[in-house]
Amino acid sequence: MGSTARARLSRRARARLAAEGGFTLPELLVTMAILLIVVASLASVLVSATRSQVDASARFQAQGQARAGLNQLRRELHCASAVTQTSGTALTAGTAYNAISLTLSSVCPTTGGTSLFATWCTSASTLTTGDFALYRVTSTSTPPTCATSGKVKWADYLQPTTLGPPPASTPFCLPSTSAACGGVLKPTTSLPMLHVVLPVNLNGPTSTKDGYNLVDDIALRNGTRS
Amino acid sequence: MTPRLRRLRLQREEGFTLVELLIAMIVLTIGILALVAAYTSGYVALNRATRTSSEQLIADSQMERFRALNYNNIQLNRTCGTNCAEDTTYTSDSTYSSTAEISGCTTTDTTCLPTQTKTGPDGRSYRLDTYINYGCVSGTLATSPSLTCGTGQPSPVKKVTVVVTSSGGTGTGSSGAVSTREQSSFTSLLGS
Repeated sequence: MGSTARARLSRRARARLAAEGGFTLPELLVTMAILLIVVASLASVLVSATRSQVDASARFQAQGQARAGLNQLRRELHCASAVTQTSGTALTAGTAYNAISLTLSSVCPTTGGTSLFATWCTSASTLTTGDFALYRVTSTSTPPTCATSGKVKWADYLQPTTLGPPPASTPFCLPSTSAACGGVLKPTTSLPMLHVVLPVNLNGPTSTKDGYNLVDDIALRNGTRS
Repeated sequence: MTPRLRRLRLQREEGFTLVELLIAMIVLTIGILALVAAYTSGYVALNRATRTSSEQLIADSQMERFRALNYNNIQLNRTCGTNCAEDTTYTSDSTYSSTAEISGCTTTDTTCLPTQTKTGPDGRSYRLDTYINYGCVSGTLATSPSLTCGTGQPSPVKKVTVVVTSSGGTGTGSSGAVSTREQSSFTSLLGS
């Protein structure tokens, strides 16, 4: 490279470095305004997505708890040697109860090796006014009630199964071949089946939106087929 | 800045070319589409998970009813008219065999109906198909002269297959029908 060429190059470079052309203030303002609109719309999408994610996760958790409760209840009902009211009186066919008491032998997997009475009951929810929660409480001497201390909550956000007043949650019902529970009769020559209804809804006691209505008929396997 | 320079700047007409603008817009569109696709796939997955779990609950519930029955009563009702209709969806299942289905039930209990519609916990409708036929734990099933699994083999069992299909959508794609299948065998040792 000759000295003339080098001089021309450095002159050009100097000129570029000295150039002060840039964006004008209006240009910058317009750009920023457009950017703001785009970012704001994206942010609103993000906020609504986060909100619905929080809602979905709460619903998922409530439904999961109810399913876990139903599974535990199913295991215990399969093993129970008797299912009665908490007073010890037999269940009346076709009548819905808010509490049932299970007699469990020490060989049942959920007893920890001791014969006990396990009561499943519903009592007012501590989270939403008007809703109910499902509890389990055990005792080795007599069938406990929901008022007994030491009860463990298994599910919450349960809607009342019978609309008031006063509203009550009565999820347990034993159908016979003639007395139905929620439209379900016991089939002939079948084991007794306990009809369980757990309507989970995070939107309050009377909402019909986004409900999760867990319904199951659980066989009492130590019963007799009739 | 001299007045002449200012006039020059205002007169300047350089800007983005159409090609530059198009490229920028395409890049932006690709970015936005990717975001939208993420939301859509999340929604589809959630929907699918809800339907699958509802189907499992319905299938479990139906199996539980069979467990409550004695061996002799595990049978279908195939002669109750429209209630017991076996449509092409039912008969095209791999478990179906027109001759091997065990029938004899005379009621319309949920365990007796080949096809029925159930409402899941999520409030959607699900189709519940039940198939009952004989099978062998080991050995080969022979129906003539008597029902047997061969010499020295255990007695035949009743195989109950429950298929639950969500009716929300068609096809087998990610947003289409999902189905859950459960099978259980029942032996005569259950008592008759």
